[in-house]
Amino acid sequence: MGDIFNILLLQNTLRTATPVVLAAMGCLMTQHVNITNIGIDGMMLIGAFFAVLGSYYLGSWAAGVGVALRLGVLLGLVYYVFVIKFGSDEFIIGVALNIFAGGLTVFLLRTIFKVAGSFSDPAIVPLPTIHIPLIEKIPVIGPLLSGNTLLVYVSWLLVPLCWAFIYKTPMGFHLRAAGEYPDALTACGKSPERMKCLASVLCGMLSTLAGAHLSLGYLTMFSENMSAARGYVAFACVIFGGGNPPRVFLAALLFGFIDALGLRMQKYVPSDITAMAPYVVTVVMMVAVVLMERRKKGKKAA
Amino acid sequence: MKGMLQSLRALLRLKPAQKLTRDYLISLFIAVALALLVGAGIMVICGHDPVQGYTALLNGALGKPRAVGNTLAKTVTLCLTGLAMSLAAKAGMFNVGGEGQLYLGAMAAAVVGAQVKGAPAWLVVVLSLLAAMIAGGLYALLPAALKVKWKVDEVITTIMLNSVAIYFCSYLANGPLKTAERGIATGTDSIMKEAAFTPLIKLSNLTTGVFYAAVVALLVWYVMSRSSIGFEMKLTGENDRFAKYGGISTGRLMIWSMIFSGAICGMVGMLEVFGLHKRFLTTVSNEFYFDGMLVAMIMRYNPFGVILMSFFFAILSIGGKSMELTAGISSELILIVQSVIIFFMAAETGIRTSIGNWWSVRKARRASGKEAA
Amino acid sequence: MSTNEIVRFSHVSKQYPGTLANDDVSLTIEKGEVFALVGENGAGKSTLMNLLFGMQKPTLGDIFIKGQKIGAQHNPESAMQMGVSMVHQHFKLVPGFTVAQNILLGHEPKKGLFYDEAAAIERVRALSEEYGLKVEPTDVVRDLSVGLQQRVEILKALRTGADVLILDEPTAVLTPQETEELFEVIRRIVEEKDMTVILITHKLPEVMRISDRVGVMRRGRLEKVLMTRDTSEREIASLMVGRDVIFDDLRTAQRAGQPMLEIYNLRALSDRSLPALNGVNITVRAGEIVGICGVEGNGQTELAECIAGMRKTTAGDITLCGEKVNGCTPRQIRAQGLSYIPEDRMSMGMDAKASVADNLLLGRQRTKEFSLFGLHLKRGAINRHAREMAKTYDIRTSGVDELTGSLSGGNMQKVVIAREFEFDSPVLLICQPTRGVDIGATEFIHEHIIGKRNQGCAILLISADLDELFRLSDRLVTLYDGRITGQFNAGEIDKQFISYYMTGGTQEVDKE
Repeated sequence: MGDIFNILLLQNTLRTATPVVLAAMGCLMTQHVNITNIGIDGMMLIGAFFAVLGSYYLGSWAAGVGVALRLGVLLGLVYYVFVIKFGSDEFIIGVALNIFAGGLTVFLLRTIFKVAGSFSDPAIVPLPTIHIPLIEKIPVIGPLLSGNTLLVYVSWLLVPLCWAFIYKTPMGFHLRAAGEYPDALTACGKSPERMKCLASVLCGMLSTLAGAHLSLGYLTMFSENMSAARGYVAFACVIFGGGNPPRVFLAALLFGFIDALGLRMQKYVPSDITAMAPYVVTVVMMVAVVLMERRKKGKKAA
Repeated sequence: MKGMLQSLRALLRLKPAQKLTRDYLISLFIAVALALLVGAGIMVICGHDPVQGYTALLNGALGKPRAVGNTLAKTVTLCLTGLAMSLAAKAGMFNVGGEGQLYLGAMAAAVVGAQVKGAPAWLVVVLSLLAAMIAGGLYALLPAALKVKWKVDEVITTIMLNSVAIYFCSYLANGPLKTAERGIATGTDSIMKEAAFTPLIKLSNLTTGVFYAAVVALLVWYVMSRSSIGFEMKLTGENDRFAKYGGISTGRLMIWSMIFSGAICGMVGMLEVFGLHKRFLTTVSNEFYFDGMLVAMIMRYNPFGVILMSFFFAILSIGGKSMELTAGISSELILIVQSVIIFFMAAETGIRTSIGNWWSVRKARRASGKEAA
Repeated sequence: MSTNEIVRFSHVSKQYPGTLANDDVSLTIEKGEVFALVGENGAGKSTLMNLLFGMQKPTLGDIFIKGQKIGAQHNPESAMQMGVSMVHQHFKLVPGFTVAQNILLGHEPKKGLFYDEAAAIERVRALSEEYGLKVEPTDVVRDLSVGLQQRVEILKALRTGADVLILDEPTAVLTPQETEELFEVIRRIVEEKDMTVILITHKLPEVMRISDRVGVMRRGRLEKVLMTRDTSEREIASLMVGRDVIFDDLRTAQRAGQPMLEIYNLRALSDRSLPALNGVNITVRAGEIVGICGVEGNGQTELAECIAGMRKTTAGDITLCGEKVNGCTPRQIRAQGLSYIPEDRMSMGMDAKASVADNLLLGRQRTKEFSLFGLHLKRGAINRHAREMAKTYDIRTSGVDELTGSLSGGNMQKVVIAREFEFDSPVLLICQPTRGVDIGATEFIHEHIIGKRNQGCAILLISADLDELFRLSDRLVTLYDGRITGQFNAGEIDKQFISYYMTGGTQEVDKE
């Protein structure tokens, strides 16, 4: 079993967890303003496609990420307008967004790149890999902490940043107030809608960033439906982590670990079975959260 | 001043009574037109002629008897999956897991259809149908029970269980149940030949399976809109506290509506296997359930509306494929058109009130402006 | 502008979709007075004050604060800058935030980009001392009592150094003791800080006690402004309703019969898993109305839900018509003979998205009368029944197909009452029957309740309205902190004295 449980497993864990972490940080924003956003998967997919598009035509990874982020802002705004301004069902809009994203990306893939299935090309510039000089040399931890692509570090940075933003800044207070009791915010002259708009735009940007990492980070290609329900996994992680960034991060790592473990178990177990693992784990996580909460309540009563 | 207020009052009284259905259908018509326009716009941007594109689409869907057959067969699939969604949604359960239930149903039907030997063909059909429905129903029971017992959000669990079921079936079709026949990459043994459905229109996908579908569709429609059970489901879905207070066993009702929803999805899988592939293939469904879900959502889970809208969506998706072949426009355009319809219809009430507010503010401003002058 | 004017409304109207909430209101509030704004529910008092506070914009007319006309951009923020603050009936507090975070919401002290907690606590302490309203800045609002939450709200309103304080139904949720404290605060800020207080209320005794002037609103119009010392409760009441109101005693002498509902040592938990009922004993006999008095949140909700089978009991017994029903489902309890009018009609008493006919059908959908084989609904019979009910119970609809949610509060309540009363159950559990209902419908509902009693029903009445309880009940029971603190026959006790038991005073309760 030495070929499964080694440093590579942990590396893979970090790698597969990253898009989930990014998307989950976005999802957490909308969760705090009390919007159940399940359209994250679609946002990721669009982000992944446009990152490749930008990188391919503009010849730089930064341009790719920039295009993806801009799309994220746009998606966030559209989502906000439909869900808050028009008061539509969050769930229906989320599903519609996912279907729209699936249709749009495949349509554009076939129309622009004239390929079906997936598109990869040497002209797509991947995200840079960052080597940290001193840390690199440390055994075991070195290869983990160094030599990752840019967005992996960004995701690590974002976790404390999001935490500080939500729990330590006035704006974060307003964001949470908009979700927990919007009338309180209205009464002090602030607009809950504005906070919801902000959350939804942040969510769009972080989700498309997650997409960009999918297509420019650990693979340099776009393939149809490449988000593979990771948006939903991110959602489950947010629920599991109770909306608290560090805990959500841990949940995403757990998911990444299971995913990576599955990939590396393929020698021993059929790949279809290992591929099931993350989804089963997510369901188990959802149940675990509920059961834990019930136990907490039971204790309080006693 | 007084006069103006009185006229405002009169205006409010004149506002048409809330006839949701008619207004809604008008909005739907506008939304469909807008979505088709968006589609046309995209075609123009991509350098295609929209007239040519939509002509190819219509021809592809309804031009030949065979095409009509395929469109009708697609209608059946959409309609059943849409009704499955509606059935659960009516009782307040969002069954997003129909795709997985469909796969398991298809697998169960394929196994029974291939393994039961020596029985008369009709019995094989009945047994397979039962197996498919039980498989789909039981698979829906899991998230339903979690929801009712522990309030675990069923949207996420059903989505996750989709992937689980699809991989599981893929594992079976690639592993223990893989057929020995040559030329079949990932599929199970072929079902009993005599038990397969026969095409109603030559070379088309429309088979005798449509009769089973019709019976189920009719039953679902009846239960949902005419029976006391449908009434109880409606109240449970709209206000479960009230339903419980009124003596309805809401938990049981929610679980059963999910089970039947899953069973119908399982049946769709069986129809695909017995009508089209004659065995389980990993490509048995191409997100069929999600298409049906959309139809159901657009028609607000109204069974009759679902049946009508299924036909329209079937034209789009069957026509879309031939549009791709003849006019060279990628068929995914249809998905975009469909999702635009959903966006507009989900926001229908909101858009309408926004327009209404804007209109009344404008009117009031104008009126007060006149008075000032 | 007269020298003493601080706020002036000039021909102000507010149009909501479907209703004219304020109709050409002109009113001047003077500096240093306590002005009471009274009227029935929906008379437009809160709307008028929301316009002043900038929560909404007037459709027509102008509002002046200290002689300055408010502009189109008027919002709560600018209202507060101009010295107007408001404490809403439903507190605008974030339950998960601390007292300090709530009071300073929108104006948090910052240290760099971050929230400066030390400074926030400091500021709240200073504020609390200045006005003599004691609060603990680090407490989480969710854990505070209603009275303390209100105190936080008032501090929040005073944060900017307001001159005008609007209080919207401030005593609705308070105990008599807390009300007394609130009135002291009002007197103090008016006298010491030279502030102006506008009090929205419908409790006339309070108006008489605390206010200098009173404005009466009816159907969006300001009927009359009176000097409090020159008027009487009766005059104000008749202005509110638009005619003379005489509340007669509706009860006829009658002997109570067999015990129909017996509750013994009942215990249960609240939604937050805290003990809500701590051993309640009540007996209700056929032909009597037993009224539960208590300040809201002392276990009334839980008591009703336990009896109806909507909440788990942790100990004790409930006997209905001679059979134990603890642990039974709502369906079984209904079959055993209970009808239940819940306190919250929107979330439990009806389905706002369903038609009036459907709401009246619930519970009968499988009977022979309305379905074939309990399965096929007979729409004709259902609609006919609904039309009859609408006539008997005076439910005003455009048709029985109308969505229940679009009816007025009183008509919604009549739908609930019609459905429950038509079961002819021997035991009735009635909660807050006239909350949010206008006076006309209130009289109608009271007559029906008394009618049921005279037919021999056993009725348990839970209400926050003492007048209602005193008017209808044969016996009164006080509930405090999930315990029964006193039992009285009607006429044995008066309203002033019963509040002693409602706030924790105890009586030697004879165990039945």
